Amino acid sequence: MAWRSDLIDRRSFMKAAGIGFAAVLSPRSLMALERSDAVYASGFRAPDGSFGIATVSERGEIIDRTALPARSHGMAFSPSAGRLVAFARRPGTFAMATDPFGKAAPVIISAPEGRHFYGHGAFSPDGRLLYASENDFDGNRGMIGVYDAVERFDRIGEFDAQGIGTHDMAVSDDGSMLVVANGGIETHPDFGRTKLNLDRMEPSLVLLDARDGSVIQRHSLPTSLRQLSTRHIAVGDAGQVWFACQWEGARNVSPPLVGHLARGSDIRFVALPEETTSGLANYVGAIAVNRQEGVVGLTSPKGGMAVNLDSRTGAVLGTEKIRDAAGVAPAAHGMAVSAYDGRFNDTRSAVAWDQHIIRLG
Amino acid sequence: MLKALAAAGLVILFSSAAAFCQEDAPRPEIPDAAEIRQVAAKAVDGFIRPGYRNFLAAAGTLTEEMDRLCSAPSPEALARAKNALTAAGNRWGRIEIVRTGPAIEDNRFERILFYPDRKSIGLKQVQALLARPDESVTAPGGLSGKSVALQGFGALEFVLAGTGSEVLAQDAQSFRCRYGKAVAGNLEDIAAELTALWDAPNGIQQSWKEPGPDNPLFRNEQEAMTALLGILVHAAEMVRDQRIETFYRSGDKRSFPKQAIFWRSGNTWTMIEANLEGLQDLVGSSGMVALLPDDQRSIISSVQFVLKSMLRITRDMNPDVEAAVSDEAQRQKLDFLLVNGRDLISRLNDQYGGAIGLTSGFSFSDGD
Repeated sequence: MAWRSDLIDRRSFMKAAGIGFAAVLSPRSLMALERSDAVYASGFRAPDGSFGIATVSERGEIIDRTALPARSHGMAFSPSAGRLVAFARRPGTFAMATDPFGKAAPVIISAPEGRHFYGHGAFSPDGRLLYASENDFDGNRGMIGVYDAVERFDRIGEFDAQGIGTHDMAVSDDGSMLVVANGGIETHPDFGRTKLNLDRMEPSLVLLDARDGSVIQRHSLPTSLRQLSTRHIAVGDAGQVWFACQWEGARNVSPPLVGHLARGSDIRFVALPEETTSGLANYVGAIAVNRQEGVVGLTSPKGGMAVNLDSRTGAVLGTEKIRDAAGVAPAAHGMAVSAYDGRFNDTRSAVAWDQHIIRLG
Repeated sequence: MLKALAAAGLVILFSSAAAFCQEDAPRPEIPDAAEIRQVAAKAVDGFIRPGYRNFLAAAGTLTEEMDRLCSAPSPEALARAKNALTAAGNRWGRIEIVRTGPAIEDNRFERILFYPDRKSIGLKQVQALLARPDESVTAPGGLSGKSVALQGFGALEFVLAGTGSEVLAQDAQSFRCRYGKAVAGNLEDIAAELTALWDAPNGIQQSWKEPGPDNPLFRNEQEAMTALLGILVHAAEMVRDQRIETFYRSGDKRSFPKQAIFWRSGNTWTMIEANLEGLQDLVGSSGMVALLPDDQRSIISSVQFVLKSMLRITRDMNPDVEAAVSDEAQRQKLDFLLVNGRDLISRLNDQYGGAIGLTSGFSFSDGD
């Protein structure tokens, strides 16, 4: 199995964007883009309480902004289709597909009756399909909605996510498999964001056949880890999928927080040093893999910490205290990290960056 | 040596964090740990524990009144039982804002109050039970293993105020009455559990009062403070988004008065008033204003002002919800509650949260 890399460099981004995109940027934004080796996107909240999604330079300077009707969470990007989709934070019911190059009008995608988005999704490698994690809240089961991404993002099908509290998901490089993180936590929009089953959680990690949603592998966690919510996923080299967790159990224990799996093999947790687990406050909010450098990045807003691991050994390469650490994404070198207080690498902007970053180019 | 290598690695692995170039604002001070402990202790001893004890007492009275009604039915006894239901609902409404800890374990919350129930699952189950009596529910402890929708306030409200409830004033020891008494007893049992769990000196109250590395809930004081603010923010959201918007939305949108909590017994506003009183009490009794810098203490006085305004309007609402949503003057009051409810959420979430170090507010910082 091969895994898809979304990484294209800034020159490719500029080429795809074309002259028209650059022409509408302010001189400051254009300069930020021209001197950046990478381009990212992230959701944000503005000081006036409005929400949007911004493209951001590697230094953290905002290049361009698009308004959103409400708060977003995760994003999906297709280099081949040139589409960026921001998903509403649970229990939101919208996703917005934008063209970060400004060539196509935004499209609002609405969750169907009886469903809400969980905040994450991914494109098929050819950009023709969009997958979204969704909650069938009356059925209390996670679903993967399938959307036709060619034009209007019509919903053309769905797969059972084989678990509850579905959160992040990814697609294999060849498009044959979906990887789904079922956090195991029951929620219902009638109760807002309240977690309804913390004393009987059912976390799981699932590999689905992208053709028909059939189960390739399903991994439950042992009883001792039933309160370990498996929430976020990042794909690495050689079919390795990294996952990051949030512990909902007692605060005075040190659960494993990160691990990896692959097709045909069981899940394996990485044994982090005690001080790292403690520093992350038993909570990883985002994970990313820099494939070129073999680095896995983790962030924890609750612990105010960013951690880099060696993707081959799982060894801790470094940690940094970053208050309100939010998103993480591969940088030209190492990892780009954002924070709720507006910091994004070298820059602090007058926005609150949301929980996730995605690299566009 | 390892530390030195790791530190050197960070220069490459993380982009430099030292060069924030613009729009850099000073960060608020995190409140003093000892002060947070005092606030947490006051919240527990001054609001949470008394709240559960009061609920237990009211549930006990409700059980007694149901027993009297079943033994000596009369219109007066039925009225007393209904009043006891209102009183117990009020006591629960004040403490139900604590949606954390034992209340959300072992299905206790749903067993006490199965709401919202958009598909009328509870109603259908109660009606089916009354149509085909199952005596196992009236046996001691017999209800606790049944569907949560049969166990709590919603079920008892239908027993006392739903179709066919007039029989309660006439027939001694009817199944309907004995089932109602069993529900009241079940509520009393759950209230006793909650009271005991919060009163245990080494239990959850200690976790709230003494954060630390060995604490199963909070490793430090700020986590406890964030959890306390979470109770307030979630409660304010519940009042506005779940208790009011469930049946009424501003503008020309259709209303659903029969989705309102306890519309049958005319206790919709009893519950909303109790929720707001609970918020008012918790904000005041915890002394959380003490955690704010002097120049930001008006945040709490503003919160109290908004709560007072909402309570004044709530007490002026028509208990007949169907009539209320059809009356222009009442709709204006509902709009007032929605607008001020949003303001209340913002003041707690953004302003208080920001002032105690959650720079982007409570909800924004709750991860996902």
